[in-house]
Amino acid sequence: MSEETPPRPVPPTTPTTTAPTTTAPTAAESTLAINEDWAATILGLVLLVLVLVGLIPTGLVP
Amino acid sequence: MTTDATPKETRTEASAVTADPTPSTPVRPGPAWGWIVLGLLVVLVLAGSTRYLEQNVPAFFADTDLAEIADAIEYPVYAILLGLLGNVLVTLLGVRERIAAAFRTEFFIKTGLVLLGASINLSVIASAAGPAIAQAILLISGVFLFTWWLAGRLGLDEKLRALLAAAVSICGVSAAIAAAGAVRARREQLAYTASLVILFALPSIFVLPWLADVFGLSDAVAGAWIGGNIDTTAAVTAAGALAGEEALQIASIVKVTQNALMGVVAVALTAYFTLRVERQPGATRPGLGELWRRFPKFVLGFVAASVIATWYLDVAGADGKEVIGVVNDLRVWFLILAFVSIGLEFRVASLREAGWRPIAVFASATVFNLVLALALASLLFRNFTG
Repeated sequence: MSEETPPRPVPPTTPTTTAPTTTAPTAAESTLAINEDWAATILGLVLLVLVLVGLIPTGLVP
Repeated sequence: MTTDATPKETRTEASAVTADPTPSTPVRPGPAWGWIVLGLLVVLVLAGSTRYLEQNVPAFFADTDLAEIADAIEYPVYAILLGLLGNVLVTLLGVRERIAAAFRTEFFIKTGLVLLGASINLSVIASAAGPAIAQAILLISGVFLFTWWLAGRLGLDEKLRALLAAAVSICGVSAAIAAAGAVRARREQLAYTASLVILFALPSIFVLPWLADVFGLSDAVAGAWIGGNIDTTAAVTAAGALAGEEALQIASIVKVTQNALMGVVAVALTAYFTLRVERQPGATRPGLGELWRRFPKFVLGFVAASVIATWYLDVAGADGKEVIGVVNDLRVWFLILAFVSIGLEFRVASLREAGWRPIAVFASATVFNLVLALALASLLFRNFTG
């Protein structure tokens, strides 16, 4: 976690990366997937607790 | 291949206003909220229609020759078909790409899987499923390794190998999702695997109970065979019901036991892909931090939900089952949303690109699963008394 950000070297002749969808997930996509994991975990457990304490009663979910 | 030359851009760069000449490359241009809301509306309408069909079609065909088929068709079929129909419509209207941000297949299914944990009563498994646990471990190991080996022989992509092996050996789409998280598979690979699961699960609902009858299997053996073979929990329930009450109970226990082992497989796949498949030659051995970073975290929610529900049922007794039924309804809703999204996201191009080999692997693995599960069920459940 270094704070100083030295000027980023210009990457050598970056090809026009119009990345096809068949590439591996990017770092940003992976981060999104991790956040999605936690969001799903939290939402699932919150819903479970709401049902168990009766805030989502029997018959409410069609 | 990881071309991670760019530093992570997750820092809040308050001072970043000092123009950085290098253009940032967002993953997906952020769509307008209006389009996302419209997309969610599309998904919800299709999901509601799915639920309506699932609950009413059996009644529509009650006194006809199609009654048995109508009874056996489960929500994944309606959801995927309606999703595909929606896909065609929004494509024709030219709004598909704009609303695609709302098709959150993984999020829906992961939430559904966390809720699935609540239907896994650990005490039931511990008390009633000795043979089921033995069968699940042997069957999952055998089928997973066979599928992995065959897919390797046919030269399939490593990630697709993992998805197919997990899907056939454990529990279909749910396992494929867990595996996709562990190995960081592509969306198309997941959609493709899910399509194969559904394609093979449908006929097995009818074929397996019929074969169990032809082979003269006892209810317990038939149930264990069905539970160990059919990939989706919904289809297991349908086939088990066709085979009889005791068969249904055993099939459910076997399936649930396999589902419970999903977390173990996710951990193993995470470790394997981190340490072996995606490790650069000469790179240092990834530590626990990297393993944790890649681990599909929703599996923790799945385990937590199952612990909470087990404790709750112990405390609440018989009344608790009705309450857990509400959790199961919520789970079905999330899975419907996921299957609808799979249909909406589906692209024929990805099927064409994948070719025939994944289908050959899946079909061969299914046959192998049938034979091995029959041998194990006959051995482990021959003297079983419920």
